[in-house]
Amino acid sequence: MTRAEPICVQIAALGGQGGGLLAEWLAEAAHQAGYPAQVTSIPGVAQRTGATTYYLEILPEKNGAPSPVFSLFPDEDGLDLMVAMEPLEAGRALERGLITERTTVITTLNRIFSTAEKVVAGNGALGLPALIAPLERAAAKVVRLDVDALTGRPGVPGNAIMLGAIVGSGILPLDEAVCRGAIETKGVAVAASLANFKAGLHANGQAAHSMPAEEATDQLAPAPDGFDDGLASYPAALRPLLGHALARLVDYQDHDYAAAYLRRLGPLNEADHSLGKVLVGETARRLAAWMSFEDVIRVAQLKTRPGRLARIRAELSLGHDGLLHVKDFLKPGREELASLLPPALGRRLMAGATAGPVGGLRLRIPTTSAWGYAALKLMASLKPWRRRTYRYAREEAAIEAWLAAVCQCAAQDPELAQRVAELAVLARGYGRVRARGLEQLEAFTAKVPERLRDDPIDLRRDVDMLLQRARHDPDGDRLAEA
Amino acid sequence: MSVGAKAISRERSFVHDAEKLLLGNGEVFHGETILAVTKALLQSGVSYVGGYPGAPVSHLMDVLADARDTVLKPYDIYFEQSASEAGAAALLATSISYPLRGAVTWKSIVGTNVASDALSNVASCGVVGGALVLVGEDYGEGASVIQERTHSMAMKSSIPLIDPRYDMQKIVDLTEQAFEMSEAGNLPVFMSLRIRACHMTGSFVCKENRPSATKTRNAPLLAGPDRRSIPLPPTSFTDEQAKIEQRLPAVRRFIRERGMNEHMAGAGHRFGVILQGGTYGVVMRALARLGLADGFGACEVPLLVLNVIHPLVPEEITDFLAGKDSVLVVEEGHPALIENQVRAFAQEAGLSCRVYGKDTIPTTGEYIAGVVRAGLAAYLAAAAPKDIVAPALARNAAIAGNVQAARARAAAQPLPPRPPSFCTGCPERPIFTALKLIMRERGHLHISLDIGCSTFAALAPLNVGNTVVGYGLSLASGGPIAAALNQPTIAVMGDGAFWHNGLTSGAVNAQWQGMDAVLIVLENGYASATGQQHVPSTGASPIGQPSQVSIEKTLRGIGVSWIRRVDSYDLTETMAGLRAALDQRGPNLRVVISGNECMLAKKRRERLAAPKAAAPERRERYGVDAEVCTGDHSCIRLNGCPSLTLKPTQDPLKDGPTAHVDNSCAACDLCGEVAQAAQLCPSFYKAEGLVNPGPVRRLAARLNDRLLVWMGAS
Repeated sequence: MTRAEPICVQIAALGGQGGGLLAEWLAEAAHQAGYPAQVTSIPGVAQRTGATTYYLEILPEKNGAPSPVFSLFPDEDGLDLMVAMEPLEAGRALERGLITERTTVITTLNRIFSTAEKVVAGNGALGLPALIAPLERAAAKVVRLDVDALTGRPGVPGNAIMLGAIVGSGILPLDEAVCRGAIETKGVAVAASLANFKAGLHANGQAAHSMPAEEATDQLAPAPDGFDDGLASYPAALRPLLGHALARLVDYQDHDYAAAYLRRLGPLNEADHSLGKVLVGETARRLAAWMSFEDVIRVAQLKTRPGRLARIRAELSLGHDGLLHVKDFLKPGREELASLLPPALGRRLMAGATAGPVGGLRLRIPTTSAWGYAALKLMASLKPWRRRTYRYAREEAAIEAWLAAVCQCAAQDPELAQRVAELAVLARGYGRVRARGLEQLEAFTAKVPERLRDDPIDLRRDVDMLLQRARHDPDGDRLAEA
Repeated sequence: MSVGAKAISRERSFVHDAEKLLLGNGEVFHGETILAVTKALLQSGVSYVGGYPGAPVSHLMDVLADARDTVLKPYDIYFEQSASEAGAAALLATSISYPLRGAVTWKSIVGTNVASDALSNVASCGVVGGALVLVGEDYGEGASVIQERTHSMAMKSSIPLIDPRYDMQKIVDLTEQAFEMSEAGNLPVFMSLRIRACHMTGSFVCKENRPSATKTRNAPLLAGPDRRSIPLPPTSFTDEQAKIEQRLPAVRRFIRERGMNEHMAGAGHRFGVILQGGTYGVVMRALARLGLADGFGACEVPLLVLNVIHPLVPEEITDFLAGKDSVLVVEEGHPALIENQVRAFAQEAGLSCRVYGKDTIPTTGEYIAGVVRAGLAAYLAAAAPKDIVAPALARNAAIAGNVQAARARAAAQPLPPRPPSFCTGCPERPIFTALKLIMRERGHLHISLDIGCSTFAALAPLNVGNTVVGYGLSLASGGPIAAALNQPTIAVMGDGAFWHNGLTSGAVNAQWQGMDAVLIVLENGYASATGQQHVPSTGASPIGQPSQVSIEKTLRGIGVSWIRRVDSYDLTETMAGLRAALDQRGPNLRVVISGNECMLAKKRRERLAAPKAAAPERRERYGVDAEVCTGDHSCIRLNGCPSLTLKPTQDPLKDGPTAHVDNSCAACDLCGEVAQAAQLCPSFYKAEGLVNPGPVRRLAARLNDRLLVWMGAS
């Protein structure tokens, strides 16, 4: 006689997501339904956001004479159901050999980024497709749930939705009624949980057919009027990006400034005879970002943008009647003051700067007050003055030096030129972060012609190292340790 | 006022669980193991319970602390949350002198290390009342401590060690037998439960709770003489003799007579497995998957399940070995103490049975399902007859094949780890941001960390701190290093660590010896890592009675005059305090107490006192203007808050996702503080909302909004 085998379920969650309660609901439901079951957990320490796992075995047979010997560990190729409150954690179960062709995976599509992904200066985040597609290739079935959309409020625990989806999958011998009973018995947030449970139960079928949400797609602004001729010499594939860049620069400064952008790009475009003009695209993107560098004028402009207060109101779920106070954190110091002065004066002011503790005026501008908003508006109105400032002159010089380096490399080694174009990433951030990056970049570009001539291999190595450091050790911590 | 005085409720309340402790004869208990063991203590008639919280046994302490009126008072049980594991072990002295049963609990191996002084003495003196030490093992997956065995400690002090088979009825029975065994052998007894076992659910049939001997005070307790045992010669030598020649043999007899270890004959093959009770489930599952067991307890392979792994009973082992060509010893952890003894017993008995063990199963690491299955398959391949081996190995190969095929199909990229980190709005975290920024000003500083949540500072993104060598030992550990580096000794400890050992081993000694040292105490009012249990400076005792123990007054009492209290969420104040403490070089201890309430505890407190629906309600959170953020993520690397995360950008001119504050933000203000202190960027804003404002405020707001709209806002 062959006896029934236990159904093996692992639940992966992050601390604070309610995975423990989900496991308790399942255990309670199995208990109420009369199936032998065992649950255990590695709840981790009390902190939030660490990985927590729960493991459940249910024997789908009531009144079996001998009691089953349950295991506290899932075995490889041993999971019937993998429930992930965060998609990367489903991937981890796959990495450990727990997910195979016998496994159904139920996962949320709601990323909670790990620290390793967050600390990268640039894009260190794993996209949903990179996480979900391997699961779909490995498992029997993957059920995807956009829990934030189903609860309607991002960040609200989705554990009851997962319970609904688990019941909906039909893998466990537990029905809707018994799970409702379990939610009521446990007595935690009963009304909200029952509603979410129902949403999960019905979401199950639809979600199975929906594709995983892609990364947020680019939203490109159309090119402003008057640039059609200028854009004509660029490949069609690049024109939307260039149009977006031009729109940005018109908003940032004016039409002339945007025209200067195209003029700067011209020589590189003419020299590049490759099919897709990848180098031109890369440089165009970086140049537009750099030319719209965030000085105090730009920040004031962005902070007083129409629609901003409405957006913040929505973030707080504040209706029309609610009062809103917004404080903006600014800390103008010597550098910010210098940045607004004419070049000669600014240089003199900056010459007196020293290392040591970061100085500056700690301002908390009440942007929702009339005077706070007016002050920011006043700052933003300095836009026409921008092209006469010390900061502008300094950025212009650095941009020209970088563009020259890109062009010099392009003639000899287009691939290297593209990497040099990427180096513009160093011109980002504010305050010391930006100052440090600019220094590195300027020191590099100054020597490109001679190094290109003397030792291009060494130059290439240097570029790679600078890029690697810019993304993975931007603060120089690891360098300091070494 | 103590910071923690406000935070008098733990993360979880266990009042509901306490009801299960009162179940009567024949009633069925259903719940977690750790609660079942607590019930077994009551069924055994304990007079006292103590311990120190730590995963995975905190639950036992938490339940009893919440059960003062329902359990502790009615049964007249003395309960304390001890000052440390050493303090908890010292309680067992009660059972040296009087026939009173008691139990203490902590996390092993670290807690056992701290307790070892008292444990050695109690074991040497011997007990007349049953004394049980319940240890929760933090070994393997998710462990937050060094990986060592309690078994070595049990052997060196001659303390019997129970490693029960994980069946709830069996665990309860063995707990009760542990007290009898302790009394039969006059030795304290360890019971060890792995982390998954502590949190396992199951059922057992209850007995009536037994009144403690304290309750029935006048009968046996005072009838006997007050037994004295002091470890001085000649007692030291006679105790050693008694342990080896009388007490351990008595324990062995008890194990045999009561059948504590289980021999499962199987199909009587000439091979078999000797295993720790705690590995029974995983071994049986492996054998079932190899086709040699049915998953309901019937197994073809002969098994000797050792529910007591110290002392071993030589006759039981040699009886099992007799008539077998080989055995496999499944023994988790290093060194292989059981395996080596089994080999010695075989040799002494002149048996030629070959002993497999660590040569077949990995020497280190947790014995999870796959590891044990692979080990058993390897053993069978080497030792079992062909007709058994072939189908078992075919099944094992099929499993491996399925895993390999799934991995090949998936072709997934390696995933980043997800170690534990500080919570959203944590008051212990900002000090490390401050230290990181100060190191940018002054260069690298050697910082000694302590046990507790603050240890996570050593991990990304903060990466602050050099060493952790034990609870409350941070300040004690840094002296020679600081001298070598010509910097003050810098130590960071939580309030839990301060009271556990940090005051005596660290602060008092530094003050006494005139150390050039800076001690940073993180005072949030409770033990964070284990579930917000009270500490002496919480402002309330473990069972909620008001108390007045102050870290600052204590330090002033030992003569520390340089004490600066800073608000943990105020980075400017904190950095000024730290700079001043570091600059005050000289032979004196400087203390910076960084304190404030945990934002999550504060929210919980506010939720419990929720106002009526129509009253004005404040909402606060931080935000990032995505357009202003340049995606360099400096803020994330300096902050470490889970709510400060990424948001995919929709702007192709950006180099990656921008920083983003999610809905879990507790508005602790650190984001704004970091942005200004490090002069990062002006992306952050704080939004404060008032729902249901009064009419006057509403009118003023309307006028203000008109002005803003006139200026172009919306």
